[in-house]
Amino acid sequence: MGKVIVITSGKGGVGKTTSTANIGTALAMIGKTVAIIDADVGLRNLDVVMGLESRVVFTSMDVIDKRCELEKALVKDRRVEDLMLLAASQRNRKDDIKPEQMKDICERLKEDYEYVLVDSPAGIEQGFHNATAGADEAIIITTPDVSAIRDADRIIGLLQNQGIDFINLILNRLSPTLVRKGNMISKNDVLDILNIDLLGIVPEDTGVIASTNRGVPLVHNDGSPGADAYMRIARRITGQNIPIPEMREDSFFSQIVNWFSRKN
Amino acid sequence: MDNSIVKLRGYKDGLHLIVNPKISLSEIELAIQELFAKMNQPLTGTSIQIDMRPPVLNPEDFKHLETHLTETYNLVVNGVNIFEESGESPILAAPATHSIATDLSQGQNIDLDNAQVVRQTIRSGQTTRCLSGSVIIYGDVNPGGEVISAGDIVVLGALRGTAHAGANGGLTSVIVAMELVPLQLQIGSYVNRPPVGQKPRGYPEIARVGAEDIIIVEEFIKF
Ligand SMILES: Nc1ncnc2c1ncn2[C@@H]1O[C@H](COP(=O)(O)OP(=O)(O)OP(=O)(O)O)[C@@H](O)[C@H]1O
Ligand SMILES: [Mg+2]
Repeated sequence: MGKVIVITSGKGGVGKTTSTANIGTALAMIGKTVAIIDADVGLRNLDVVMGLESRVVFTSMDVIDKRCELEKALVKDRRVEDLMLLAASQRNRKDDIKPEQMKDICERLKEDYEYVLVDSPAGIEQGFHNATAGADEAIIITTPDVSAIRDADRIIGLLQNQGIDFINLILNRLSPTLVRKGNMISKNDVLDILNIDLLGIVPEDTGVIASTNRGVPLVHNDGSPGADAYMRIARRITGQNIPIPEMREDSFFSQIVNWFSRKN
Repeated sequence: MDNSIVKLRGYKDGLHLIVNPKISLSEIELAIQELFAKMNQPLTGTSIQIDMRPPVLNPEDFKHLETHLTETYNLVVNGVNIFEESGESPILAAPATHSIATDLSQGQNIDLDNAQVVRQTIRSGQTTRCLSGSVIIYGDVNPGGEVISAGDIVVLGALRGTAHAGANGGLTSVIVAMELVPLQLQIGSYVNRPPVGQKPRGYPEIARVGAEDIIIVEEFIKF
């Protein structure tokens, strides 16, 4: 029996779809069986990011309306073994699906796959409830800005009310240069407020946009900082104990100053 | 991150004393003395956990610190947490089984009969209401979170959201927090908004209605 992990954020555009695609691909690359579900009904784009758009024939809506079997609706990834995508309907709206129906799909998928990842839509409305209905665990994505953090905090409260207690954080688009200049909220500030475990930090990486446009998840492009970060995150999800590398948030200069002032 | 030597924070599972181990034991003990002096008596008998990041004190110093906390301050040390440098925040599974309500009975201003203890962080969009008396929060009140109390509000963590004490109109109510950086404070019908971008001061603070009929905020020494 596998587990269902919802990837959610509250605020839009912080990297949920990017993270779902990359973590799903990375898990499959290290030999796990994975199904990823696009729960962003009406605005589907997980298939695009995965480069599978042209292969989508059926969607979760077809499964729910019994127009096709669940197995038949799953699209096989082009590059990695044991990675399946269940696409979202473009024509329908988020409230055309009920939480119980989503939950049913998740329960069936986790019988066959070790990891079922659900890409949640932004917001706290119906789409959020559908995406979280079958989840055993959650990964919150936030960027280091005040409004994303505020929304993440709200989402954590809602998930806890729903009985989802295993909630981890991915801090996306952290730019060490900006933190150093004091223009960005630091990792510790984010953790201080959200007070949940950190699963990983994904740096700002221009490779992300290029890979989105090509439909090839970044993790295929090893050596890029974003790809490395997602590979480490996937390994942590499988239970490996991989330390989170410290992004240097203090400038070299201020470290020296600290060192001197400690000595005196 | 601030670099105070010791900090007291309320987490999900109770009180944590966060110790900066790069400093010598005597400095730590002095800092603890100063921290607790500001708080008057309220912690006697409470159990706490000690949090530390590497480099960790040597076992001997550690034992010494534990004995010091037990003997001098009457605290019960019920756990030690060592954190990796990676900076995971200390949320721990095991809920501690202690209550601070009884300890606070030594402070006079708290309406104990109806005090309510909340063992969690109040997150954005959440409201905690206690219209029968005072409320004590073991955790933070985050921006967008709200606490409303007929009596006093004590936050054993950071108050970053909104707090309304004396919600039934009581102007003698107070708001105390380990870190007071709220979006807005209300006592009775008075409202106070601290200046935008205010940084934590590194010591507990108390807000009350002052003689000028405005909410004043000052270092919390005692009630
Ligand atoms: N680490 C990163 N570095 C640079 N760009 C990034 C990074 N992560 C995401 N992006 C960019 O941010 C944009 C939004 O990402 P994505 O679509 O994954 O967000 P989302 O949370 O799924 O959005 P929505 O709420 O609309 O579903 C994309 O253009 C993506 O390329
Ligand atoms: Mg998306």
